[in-house]
Amino acid sequence: MLIENLKTALEALYGNRLRTLLTLLGVVIGVFAVTTTVSLGQIATAGITGEIQAFGAQSLFVIPESSHPEGVPFTDADIDALSRLPIEILRQRSTRVWANAGEERVRLNVVGTTANAPRIDRSIELDRGRFFDERDEQAAAQVIVLSADAAEEFFGSGPALGRELMLETSGGNRSFYTVIGVKKRVGGALGAFANDVSGDVPLESLYRDVSGVPRDRYDFLPITIALDRDAGAIERQVRAILDRRRDPESYQVQSIEGALSLFNTITVILQALLGGIGAISLVVGGIGILNIMLVSVTERTREIGLRKALGAQPRTILQQFLIEAVVLTVIGGVLGVLLSIAVLWTVVALVPFLDVFVLDPWIIALALFVSVATGVAFGVWPARRAAALSPIEALRYE
Amino acid sequence: MATETVIVARGLRKVYVLGGGVEVHALRGLDLEVRRGEYAAIMGPSGSGKSTLLQILGCLDAPTDGSYRLAGDEVADLDEAALAGIRNRRIGFVFQSYNLLPRATAVDNVALPLLYRGVPPRERRALALDALERVGLADRVHHRPNELSGGQRQRVAIARALATEPDILLADEPTGNLDSTTGQEILALFDALHREGRTILIVTHEQDVAEHCERIIRIFDGQVAASEVVAARRRPDAGVAGC
Ligand SMILES: Nc1ncnc2c1ncn2[C@@H]1O[C@H](COP(=O)(O)OP(=O)(O)O)[C@@H](O)[C@H]1O
Ligand SMILES: [Mg+2]
Repeated sequence: MLIENLKTALEALYGNRLRTLLTLLGVVIGVFAVTTTVSLGQIATAGITGEIQAFGAQSLFVIPESSHPEGVPFTDADIDALSRLPIEILRQRSTRVWANAGEERVRLNVVGTTANAPRIDRSIELDRGRFFDERDEQAAAQVIVLSADAAEEFFGSGPALGRELMLETSGGNRSFYTVIGVKKRVGGALGAFANDVSGDVPLESLYRDVSGVPRDRYDFLPITIALDRDAGAIERQVRAILDRRRDPESYQVQSIEGALSLFNTITVILQALLGGIGAISLVVGGIGILNIMLVSVTERTREIGLRKALGAQPRTILQQFLIEAVVLTVIGGVLGVLLSIAVLWTVVALVPFLDVFVLDPWIIALALFVSVATGVAFGVWPARRAAALSPIEALRYE
Repeated sequence: MATETVIVARGLRKVYVLGGGVEVHALRGLDLEVRRGEYAAIMGPSGSGKSTLLQILGCLDAPTDGSYRLAGDEVADLDEAALAGIRNRRIGFVFQSYNLLPRATAVDNVALPLLYRGVPPRERRALALDALERVGLADRVHHRPNELSGGQRQRVAIARALATEPDILLADEPTGNLDSTTGQEILALFDALHREGRTILIVTHEQDVAEHCERIIRIFDGQVAASEVVAARRRPDAGVAGC
């Protein structure tokens, strides 16, 4: 009987193709909307969180408070005082100069830094060649590591390693630097800020060759803390040391953890918002299903009356309607999920800084459950009521 | 043949309550007995309660009051499952308004009660085709109701009632939409079923249809007004020639 009834249910679905299609559409839209909106929120969160963490989660930035009279740049003495903590501090100065390579003359951001920079700044990754080392640093060698954009500006697609750059400074000095490395382009959301036409040189070389970069002035101090250390405790120690050296109001310590937790709050709100939209879509889809189910009640009540008049047992009729509702909602639900996967996948493939595909099985389960439940409830409930009538009452129903 | 009464109705009442609380008394304490194998016509003016009575006798609707015993069982005491069984196995009902499934073909419509009896598909189809052939619709088996004329739909409805070979056949104006030739064929079919021993009740307003039967039950205002035995010589199947 179950197989016969399955056939009956499928025939009824096929017999009324328009109603079937409209109900399917309601389920597809409901499931699609909720899985897509919620997953988009999660994909955005995962994408951006992933990048910030890749940047080095255990980091501090110490910057002078420019509005404060004592908010002056930091000195080597400050750095030496902080160096007894288990941290690494990046000394970094930068300035813009004209740089020439053959015909090309380009404004270049020259960054003087130390050989440990790649360990502290996680955005530094070498595409070709190498970063300068301690020996280059001690010798104040004339070597430069170009950003991907800079290498392209000067040399196009041609080889960059081993080529010479001539740096002009305001005094009319000219120095020749050899390209020893080219960095990778910084991908993702942070790329927009991190990519520029720049080159890294040893700090001592910058001081010697480029005029107008005074020693002993650091506009900010990037600090890296080993991952197994307590960043909060170290932040307090940094403050304690600096407070003894200058006015506590004259500088700020920013942690990426702080930024990250703020960011997390924002994404939780974003996700809640998208989830809310998804929930509304699900309700709307559910109402669509309900609507079609109820609109067809008149016709179906007569059908139930007729089937009863011909000797169908009430439970056989209910089983038929249950099968119809389950088949409809399950097919609609699966189509909705597949559509959602296709759209999310396309979004991840096309939007540059969204590169983690997230699809929470719980969201799928919830969306499927709600649509199957509405479909079954509103498909079977009118059928139950109709089946409780006498055949004649059901046949006369208007 | 034993003259066992298969239908015993006592004091049947049916009150329809319309919107606004208006009551329509369709049956007003009707008494009726029908013997097994009897062939009876129910006649009466329009609105006198003929259809209401037939629906109650067919277990398709419940009386507001009164007792209906079918083959000894008080119908009011039966549960839904038992009623479904009776509708499916014992009674063939021909509706005045056909009541066919609009999206199913003639053969599928006729096979539907057999489905609920649990007859396997192949056999179901064979029986349905047989029944359609008996009503002269062998060439219309794959038509849907909207592709058939009124008379053809009526014949599909009759075929559906015959397909299950019920003990009791209840027909509400079964020849109302048929031309006289087809009407005669259908009546000949009923006569044949009667000879097979089935109990047949036909609601009709045509005197010559009623005279095929053994008895005419006259209904007036929800009650049995008269019960006339039809003279055997007037009945075409009585084998009395020259009348
Ligand atoms: N479902 C119904 N609701 C209200 N009144 C009805 C209903 N069915 C029949 N009636 C009324 O009951 C009376 C008997 O109807 P019916 O049994 O159909 O008569 P007949 O078949 O003899 O013409 C009529 O007055 C009719 O209007
Ligand atoms: Mg009538």
